[in-house]
Amino acid sequence: MTRETIALKIKRQDAPGAKPYWNVFKLPSLPHANVISCLQEIQRNPVTADGKTVTPVTWDCNCLEEVCGSCTMRINGRVRQACTALVDILEDPIVLEPMSKFPVVRDLQVDRSRMFENLRKIKGWIEIDGSYDIGEGPVFPEKIREKAYALSQCMTCGCCLEACPQFTLTNDFMGAATFSQVRYFNLHPTGAMNKEERLEAVMKSGGIADCGNAQVCVEVCPKKIPLTESIAEIGRETTLQLLKNLVLK
Amino acid sequence: MSKLTKEDLHFFLLKLHSLTGIVPIGIFLAFHLAINSLRTVGVHQYQFSIDLINNLPFLFGIEVLFIYVPLLLHSALGFYVTFAGRMNVRRYPYYRNWMYTLQRITGAIVFAFLVYHMGTTVVPKIYYGKELFDAAPFLIDAMNREFQTWGGRILYLAGIFSAAFHFANGLWGFCVSWGMIVGPSAQRNASVVFLLFGLVLGLLGAATVVEFSLHPVPVAPSFTG
Amino acid sequence: MPRREKKIVVIGGGLAGLSATMKICEFKVRVTLVSFQPVKRSHSVCAQGGINAAIDTKGEGDSPEIHFYDTVKGGDFLAHQPLARDMCHQGPAIIRLMDRMGVAFNRTAEGHLDFRRFGGTLYSRTAFAGATTGQQLVYALDEQVRRHERDGLVQKLEWHEYLGAVVDGAGVCRGAVVHDLRAGNILAIAADAVVLATGGPGQIYARSTNSTVCTGSAAASAYLQGAKYANGEFIQIHPTAIPGQDKLRLMSESARGEGGRIWVPRNPGDNRDPLKIPEEDRYYFLEENHPLFGNLVPRDVASREIHDVVYNRKLGVGGQPTVYLDLTHQPPEFLERRLGGIIDIYRKFTGQDPSRVPMKIFPAVHYSMGGLWVDYESDGHGMVDHRSPRNQMTSIPGLYAAGEVDYQYHGANRLGANSLLSCIYTGLLIGPGIVRYCDNLDKGRDAVPSSLFDRAKKEWDNRFAEIKRMNGRENPYALHRELGDLLLTNVLIVRENKKLLETLDGLDGIEARFKDIKCLDTSDWSNPTPSFINQLYNMIHLSRIITKGALLRDECRGAHYKPEFDLNQPDRFDPHEFIDYLEKKQYGPPREEDYPPGHLAYMRRFEANEEEWLKTTIAQYKNNGPEISYEAVDLSLVTPRPRKYD
Repeated sequence: MTRETIALKIKRQDAPGAKPYWNVFKLPSLPHANVISCLQEIQRNPVTADGKTVTPVTWDCNCLEEVCGSCTMRINGRVRQACTALVDILEDPIVLEPMSKFPVVRDLQVDRSRMFENLRKIKGWIEIDGSYDIGEGPVFPEKIREKAYALSQCMTCGCCLEACPQFTLTNDFMGAATFSQVRYFNLHPTGAMNKEERLEAVMKSGGIADCGNAQVCVEVCPKKIPLTESIAEIGRETTLQLLKNLVLK
Repeated sequence: MSKLTKEDLHFFLLKLHSLTGIVPIGIFLAFHLAINSLRTVGVHQYQFSIDLINNLPFLFGIEVLFIYVPLLLHSALGFYVTFAGRMNVRRYPYYRNWMYTLQRITGAIVFAFLVYHMGTTVVPKIYYGKELFDAAPFLIDAMNREFQTWGGRILYLAGIFSAAFHFANGLWGFCVSWGMIVGPSAQRNASVVFLLFGLVLGLLGAATVVEFSLHPVPVAPSFTG
Repeated sequence: MPRREKKIVVIGGGLAGLSATMKICEFKVRVTLVSFQPVKRSHSVCAQGGINAAIDTKGEGDSPEIHFYDTVKGGDFLAHQPLARDMCHQGPAIIRLMDRMGVAFNRTAEGHLDFRRFGGTLYSRTAFAGATTGQQLVYALDEQVRRHERDGLVQKLEWHEYLGAVVDGAGVCRGAVVHDLRAGNILAIAADAVVLATGGPGQIYARSTNSTVCTGSAAASAYLQGAKYANGEFIQIHPTAIPGQDKLRLMSESARGEGGRIWVPRNPGDNRDPLKIPEEDRYYFLEENHPLFGNLVPRDVASREIHDVVYNRKLGVGGQPTVYLDLTHQPPEFLERRLGGIIDIYRKFTGQDPSRVPMKIFPAVHYSMGGLWVDYESDGHGMVDHRSPRNQMTSIPGLYAAGEVDYQYHGANRLGANSLLSCIYTGLLIGPGIVRYCDNLDKGRDAVPSSLFDRAKKEWDNRFAEIKRMNGRENPYALHRELGDLLLTNVLIVRENKKLLETLDGLDGIEARFKDIKCLDTSDWSNPTPSFINQLYNMIHLSRIITKGALLRDECRGAHYKPEFDLNQPDRFDPHEFIDYLEKKQYGPPREEDYPPGHLAYMRRFEANEEEWLKTTIAQYKNNGPEISYEAVDLSLVTPRPRKYD
């Protein structure tokens, strides 16, 4: 499907708390264009369809090949990465909105620090003794590695949280990405040494028990991470931990 | 167990929410619908079951501890969980998201239905007390009247099917969140099995409704007081 | 005497910045980590294929010493040898460290690290995590830094951009000026030392394999403040990328490491479906021209071959400047497991499945071998003194550089999978030296008069106020595109002096138009435009360094290729002949008849060329442009010789 021009309808907001408004832009359609290249085109010519010169739209992006996780936004209503949103296969007009589950910074930029904060809460790291050379890491099967790798591709983009009906702007739900990271670190032989601390971190308000199993997370994850499997796995681990706490502590 | 903090309590209560949905409420529901369907076999069998239950020793205690308290707890937490989230099935119309949404809607329907159902069955029983009250004739009469009208029939069918779905899908959710079914294909298969189970429960209840609607039982409630 | 409490500012949250931060934290020194965005999103995540370390788990007889030789040979002997050697020797330790941190490196049946082949070497030396190795390494380091953040050693300033160093009257760096990209205000941070780990300058070409933050602006800023910039003209063009309006997406060299073959139809205008073209009608030009290394020749060689095939011999697929990168002979599960990340990228951006259809690729700007000049201390035996404060210090005392922003490891051409290694290596190398530097300082940051910081802040406040007042006719983003087009046309794989001269004029034109820019958005809150205008200014200066360096260097070396000055290596030339020649020369003039015809003349040409050009290019900011001079390269370990890969 090739079109001569495409229209972009963009929801804008000048600052946190400011009133959102819409701008429509008409652009020539170019081969290989994606939403990012359209936004760049708007930077080069920030004039709306009705001829008004406006400030360029602001958005976050970096790698433009879906590994950095920056450019998440709602495109035609659905959350995804803007870099892989190829214009040729999108419905016209292309409607761009910021994610709704994170505070808007400006235009299409949102503040996802809540996600990074969660990574800190779950102790998302391997407790190594130090960075000096003390020999090889643990030997473990390629099968486990493959499982871990699927999880380690999480780029903290926020798609799973935006699409999650249980995750809102105001509650404290941690969401699929965080639970999956707990599973990731607990899979590693060294990481498993701090398994209980990570489980305890999600056995709290906003933790794993708040998950409503709507499983939209796994549908929208751009990296096809088995998020629901992680949730069930962490569900099992935390249940066992609860029983352990009840019986052994 | 060490000191229970507010944070621990949250987790504990939500676990309790999912547990109470199965044990005892779900189990009770299954028995309730199954036993009531004895009505399709015969009035006597039906009456016998009511009598059997209502003559259990410590019945009131059993009912409070195993039905009323869990139900209240499950409902309260259910509403809390529902209002903590925001449904979005129109934007993301996936199968499981529909189930998530229906779970919340049916939960609310069942709650409303139970207010009515228990108001018309349990409340008189408690109000009059066991000595003054012969359960079977009273309940049979009440049901006779309910199923005389389409309003009553629809109300009960909605309540029964909502409850059956809520239980079946809740059973799936329970198995997932307690980590009993983990992999995606296990989850898919379990979902089919549980929903079939829910359908059977719903049909059992519906059969009772149909039976009452077609063949009302001529009995008058008696008060021996 | 109790040691002063020290603070170091690290700019950049990619592999180099994160590993430097982690290492410095281990000395219990506080770090302020400044990053343009959350560090987890840094450009290092784009590295795909892997990281080199000669661990020799395949019994091929590989060793760090061979790795070192491959590295300096790959770089056409322009790298400082003690450093390149030390890096290669640290490789195995770095891999083991990353493995311990939990990086999901692919493993063998026994559960050990797996290695694959990469360009410019004959050994399986590249550890990898699918085809997203860079991402996995960044995450592991990000996690360690988060751990230090929890312990209070790291303060992250994400959404902050480095503008310049705070330099005192004695020319010593005492802190950094950063720009809060959200609130829009500018702050001067006092520090005992500053590390620039700000990556490469790919954005000067507008379209490259680089991320949008890779403007080279921080390096250019240091250069404008007097720091030396070295080997700028050496820009690596990666042979395999896919087209896009916004970016040219990399298709990793690992695709060839895992058996990918490059070919074009033998007959121009053969428009058949590639799968229907029989073997005999396919021209596997890398394999035919370089039977020994085949598809795994170094990147400069591969890019030049592709350039030759599509432009000079007009054999590009469908008449376009593209060639096939063919993986269809490999089983899909194998590709998924070892190359999943890039297979996915190709699928998403082209809609085609590389396991069924050959990929269509072409070369793209990828990496800068050059960068800020940095120092090091060698003990004279080819060893690097790991505790020296001079290691990785730029020519501004107290200002350090690590990662792609430095210059000294890859010479004239970087080998694939060596960049991740050099990023982590330099980050770790900085640690001990910089801490010693801080300890040795005559006065700590608290003793520096605050007026110095006030003045630096004021300067940048004024600069940004000035930018916001710009109200001309030029759109900064459009001008950036033009800058990119200018460089893409003239300063790429094949360079000509005439065109380079034109480019310098073109850059003057762009600078003149820069003055007529309109600042499209003058608000304070989260406004990228003034910041971009400042970056654009820096990019123009960086482009001058690259172009002028290229213009003055009249030879072919690594990625810098001027056909005019090609030494025309004879066929069947063996590089060892040159070693033999050097040896024989000591005992009298070598005789023509000792060598095949033409070889001696070539070796003489080569020797003369080395004499003149085997030097580091140094650019220093003078009179609004780079003043170019040359410095000796440390060649203390291996004798430079002609490169050959067939």
